[in-house]
This record gives sequence, C-alpha cells and structure tokens, in this order.
Amino acid sequence: MKFACHKSSILKEIVLALDFTSQRNALSVVSNVYLETKDNLLYIKATDQNVGLKSVIPVETIEEGATTVFCDKFLGILRSLPEETIVFEEVHDKLFIQVENKAISFELRTISVDKYPTLEESDELEFFALSQKDLLAMIDQTIFAISDDETRHFMTGVYLEQDGNQLVMVGTDGKRLSFIGRKFEKQLPEFKPIIIPAKFLSLLKKGGTQEGEVELSITDSIIFARLGDQVMYSSLIKGTFPSYKRVIPASQSFECKVEIGPMNEALKRVSLLVENKAKRIYIDLEEGLLTISSEESDFGQAKEVIACDYSGDAMRLAMNYTFLVSPLRVMEGEQLSLSFTDANRAVTLRPEPQRDYFHIIMPMQKE
Amino acid sequence: MESVWFHVDMDAFYASVEQLDNPSYRGKPVVVGGLGNRGVVSACSYEARTYGVHSALPMYRARQLCPHAIFVTPRIERYSEASHQVVSLLKEFSPTVQQISIDEAFLDMTGTERLYGKPRQAATLLKNRVKNEIGLTTSVGIGTSRFIAKMASGYDKPDGLCRISKGNEERFIDTIGLKKLFGIGEATLAILNRHSITTPAQVREFSLEHLQALLGESGGLYLYHACRGIDPGIYTGVTKSRSISTENTFANDIDNEKELLQQLLMMSHEVMFRALQENLSSSTVAIKVRFSDFTTVSAQKGLDHNLYSGEQIYEVAQELLKSRWRDSQKVRLLGVGLYGVSDQGPPVQQELFEDPYKRKGELEKAVLSLRSKGRNIQKASLLEEND
Repeated sequence: MKFACHKSSILKEIVLALDFTSQRNALSVVSNVYLETKDNLLYIKATDQNVGLKSVIPVETIEEGATTVFCDKFLGILRSLPEETIVFEEVHDKLFIQVENKAISFELRTISVDKYPTLEESDELEFFALSQKDLLAMIDQTIFAISDDETRHFMTGVYLEQDGNQLVMVGTDGKRLSFIGRKFEKQLPEFKPIIIPAKFLSLLKKGGTQEGEVELSITDSIIFARLGDQVMYSSLIKGTFPSYKRVIPASQSFECKVEIGPMNEALKRVSLLVENKAKRIYIDLEEGLLTISSEESDFGQAKEVIACDYSGDAMRLAMNYTFLVSPLRVMEGEQLSLSFTDANRAVTLRPEPQRDYFHIIMPMQKE
Repeated sequence: MESVWFHVDMDAFYASVEQLDNPSYRGKPVVVGGLGNRGVVSACSYEARTYGVHSALPMYRARQLCPHAIFVTPRIERYSEASHQVVSLLKEFSPTVQQISIDEAFLDMTGTERLYGKPRQAATLLKNRVKNEIGLTTSVGIGTSRFIAKMASGYDKPDGLCRISKGNEERFIDTIGLKKLFGIGEATLAILNRHSITTPAQVREFSLEHLQALLGESGGLYLYHACRGIDPGIYTGVTKSRSISTENTFANDIDNEKELLQQLLMMSHEVMFRALQENLSSSTVAIKVRFSDFTTVSAQKGLDHNLYSGEQIYEVAQELLKSRWRDSQKVRLLGVGLYGVSDQGPPVQQELFEDPYKRKGELEKAVLSLRSKGRNIQKASLLEEND
C-alpha cells in the first residue's frame, strides 16, 4: 500500500477517527485506524465496537492496499509534520511516513486488516435529512442534563422520539430534565423512541459544521449519521426511559420573569461560596425582587438581589445551582421565566417568550 | 491512670431475644439461622449448645443434633432494636462506647471508679441493669486493653464476669491457650503445630522476625503481641465517632460467595437500622475484609446521594466486596460500615422520578416504628430460600 496526500486533508479525518477508537489498550486492533487506498481515494475506518466511523478522502494512490495503525501515535506524528505532501507506504508490517523533499521519516508498526472488526453497514438503509443546525441545537439543549451514573444506564443518553413532523429530545438525570420538541417542515419517517449515548452526540457535534444537512438512519439497535462523505454510527442504549411526560407540570401557579444576563452573573458570583458537595442555593422571591443566596458555610456567605417581574406570594426555593447555570448557558433571548407551584414541586425554567424547549428542575430540601 | 476496658457481650444474643419475646421458648433449645438446606446457624440458646449446636454450623447438622429444637429465621430488625436499647443503657456508664457488632461493645471505663465503684462493682451493676431493664443476660470482661477485655468476656460465659487486672495479662493468655486466643485461626494453628509450637509461652521464645517469617508480616506481629497480652490493635480505628459499622469474625473461614453475600446482607441491614434509629444518614459505604492469612483490606465508595435502605447499602457493599475478594479466597472477618455519618446528611436533592430505594427506606422506617409498638414483622428478603 502506498499513497500520498497533503497533511491537512488527512489530519482532519484522523482527529475525528481517534475518538472512535478504543483508548484502553494500545496493542488492541480496535485502537488502530483502518486505512485503505484505491482509485485515488483513501478509505478510513475506526471503531471501538460501540461507535464506528467511515470516511473517504481523495489522495494519490500509488499502490493499492490496506492496513491498520495505532491511531493515537499516527495522529501525533501527523500533527508534528510540516504542511507538505506526505507519502505513506506500508512495507513488511510497518507504515513508513515520509515528507516529500525532507529528511523526515517515521515508521509505525501495523496490524493486518484481516484482524480488524467488520463495521456496521448502512448502504441498504434509508436515511432522512435534517438541518445540522437544528439537530446540533437540540443536542445542546439536552445533553448536559443526562446522568453519568452507570447504575442508571438508561439515563446516560439522550432520548429521541418522533411525533409526526416533530422530533423530541429529552435528557434527564432523575433530578432535572431538559426537553426540546422541534418541528420540521419535511415529513419524518416513523421510528420507535431510542436512547442515544452521549458520546455519539458529542462526536456528532465535533464532526458537524453547523451548516448544511445531516442524514440519519435509525434501526432497532443502531443510529447512523451521514455528514458528507463521513458515516458515523453508534449502538443505542438498551433499557426503558422513564415516562418523562408525567413529571412535566401541566401548569404552575406562580411565574417569575427575569433577565438572563443579570441572573447568570448573580449565579456565578453567589456560587463562589456555595458548599461544593450539595451545591445548594436559595432563591427568595418577593414582589419585584429575586434574591439569590448561598447558605452560611465555614467560609462565609454570598447574596445578590436582582429585579424581576413577580407578583405572587413570597417564596423560597432551594436548588442545586448547576441545574440553573447549565440551561442558562444555552438559553437564547433576553429573558427567562421561572414558574412553580410550591417549594417542594418541580420548577419549570424556559425562555421568555416561549420557544420549543424548557427545563424541569426538582428543588432541594430547604433545611 | 490504669486503663480499664469493659467488653460487654450479649449471651446467645439472637436466641435470647427470641426467648425474651416468646416466653414459650424459654428453657428450650432455640436455633436461629437460615432454615434452607444450605443455611447456617446464626445463634443458638445455651440449651441447644448442650446438644453440640453452635453458630456457623450448617443447619442440616443442627437439625440432626437437636431435632426437637425450635428453629427460627433471624429478625434482624428486632435484634437491632434490642441492641440499640442495650447500647443506650451502656452509654449511661461511659461516654466512650464502641459498638463493634450487634451484640458486642467496648466501654472505656478508665477513671469511672468514683462514679460506679471498683471495676467489678461497676460491671455487676451494669449486668443487673441490662437483666432487669431489658431482660437479657450479658457477659462482661474487664481488662487493661480491649484485647484482654474481649477474651475475658468469653472466658466465663454465659452471665459471666471476669476481670484480668494489670500485670496478669500474660498469665491469662497462658491459661486461655493458643487455640482459644482471639484472632488465631486454624491456618495459623496448623503452621504453628508443624513447628511444634502449641502454647503462648513457646511463641514468646521466638523473635518477631522469626514469627513474621513464619506467618507473614501482619500475622506474625499480631501473634507476637497477642501472646504477650498486648493489644495487637484489633479494634482501633474501626469505629470512629462519625461512622456506624459492624463486623463479624467467623468461627470458620468462609470461602463461598453465597454465604459471604448472606453475611453482607445481614450486616447491611444491621447498620441501616442503627442509622435509622439514631436518625443519622450517610452517603458512604465501606467494607472490611480480613483473609485467613490476616491480611486486611478495606474499600469504600461515596455516592452523591444518601443511603435510604439496607438493600441499597448491600448493593454497594456487594460491589466493594467483589473488588476485593476473589472466588474461593478464605475470609475470616467481614465488616460493613457507613462513613461520614451526619445528623441530617447533605441537603437532599429531590427526585423527579420515584426512587425505588427511597420507598424501601420508608418501608424500613415504618417497620421500625411498628416493631417499637410491639408488632412482629419479618422481612422476606432476609429469609434464605429453601433449596
């Protein structure tokens, strides 16, 4: 096998490929990236057996063939090379990497392709297209709310459901929940609800460009995404997602509207003195005023008052401040609405005016 | 000032509680344990012991030895409650009460002479109060260290009282003999026997290095100290004030998973009930495992939420055990504890979806309150399956 291409064209692909390889064992073939060249194309594959990537880029094929190399080191080498045309050649279980007209050469051990696992095939499947911008926005609104608790495996991914021409994504860790229901003009194919691993969604974000379209295909156990010449896939999370609709309050008795900017700033300041483990802050509401405070700790206390639009009863809510900070980070517009019924029930946080997403937060005990 | 330690050991604890609650059992052989074919005896009354029944005996053997005995499955909740009553009473005698398992505790009685009289007088008073107020008999050992006190309580059982005064420790060890020396297992005895060492006095003739070469570093050190009547430090650092723990040294080393897990489940429930009774909460579970060669390992895991139920503790403890124990390794001691215990626990984050464990926790609380009203409730998960 022998091919040549410019550093920049292969580097981009290998950066992405690394995330699809297994990082556990450097000697395992799944830590390697698969390279195959023919007809002036380079086929790149990577998989850790859960997620997979296939990509194609134009190169100059000098001699057809295929091999696999340890992706981590391969990427390190590529990064270090000058912006030139690079020649890759496999000779006797070694990949020689040379820069044209320069006295730089590397050799990397290879593992034969017949040991490389077969990747999932998507050629026969039907794909449907969405705007990348919409899909990535949906991921942004929900991915932070998922759980990292492996004993609640089914909450470690984002739930995706199709409902007519609307796609619903939900992320929850059991203590808060983020919901987005986006309508698409095109008709969507029917599929059963799935739970997508967080890793795949962040890889999709990494591979995506925010422009153009992304095509998806969903089977019983796998989700495929096609971005230009790249196809990536992931096995889905098995298990039953909690019946999230039941915990979304249909209506709330009180509503407070406040500017997002000042709220964000105040949270940032007060959180400096919040106890690290519980992360509890208090939100006190009275006519026209919202007070954020930390509880008194060994270090001291913080408090900040901001103006708001509220006319209900005086109320104190106790919350994990990160449950407020992370949705605010991705909330669009100037104003937010915080609505609730009493201090022990779920609070609804959404942009004002309403958009197609909102967040449900369970409060903490006040004492 | 001379250190004075009491070791208070409840006599045939589970069986005595059964006899207390069921007057018709009194004076009769009572055997408590898993009733399935593979069950083991957890405790038995002294009446049953005369037939050769003892704890850790396979249940089928107990049935052969004493077929007319009353066989009952353990009611850990009830025993925890009785244990709690006893410990509350003990706390009136000393500010330093170190409960080491459901039926044993150490009391630091150093300097209490002017309050309760000489150690022997104080111990008699303590024994009488437990008998009269709770209805259970105890054996008390008095010594200058926990180690000596622990062995003294076992020397004169049941309803015993034994004091080893300062200076007599070594002689006491010689009387006890190697075989009954606390913490000396069969494996150690076999090694010593092979070298014709059969008495503590003979052990003392060997240097520490020699013993360590024979028994390993920790085993050698342990024996070196134990035979001199010096506390090898068995209970130091096990139970600090901000933890609730229990441990069990097995009469015979356990090497099968099922039996270890059964022990772990019982201990998990025990610590949970103690926590509930004292209104304490914790989010960290720890286990301690001592193998037959005396190497002791521990492991702990902190969770981001409080523990609500015994089963939840068990689930974590089980995971910890599997990280420290390989199949067929012989275990002589197992302990489960809750660490970082606090009155309220960290502020409770409420759940959107019903947490199955929280409901179990509430159930355990309800069981506890019914029990304290004298109702008889049994938790099915603590029953061994009949196979």
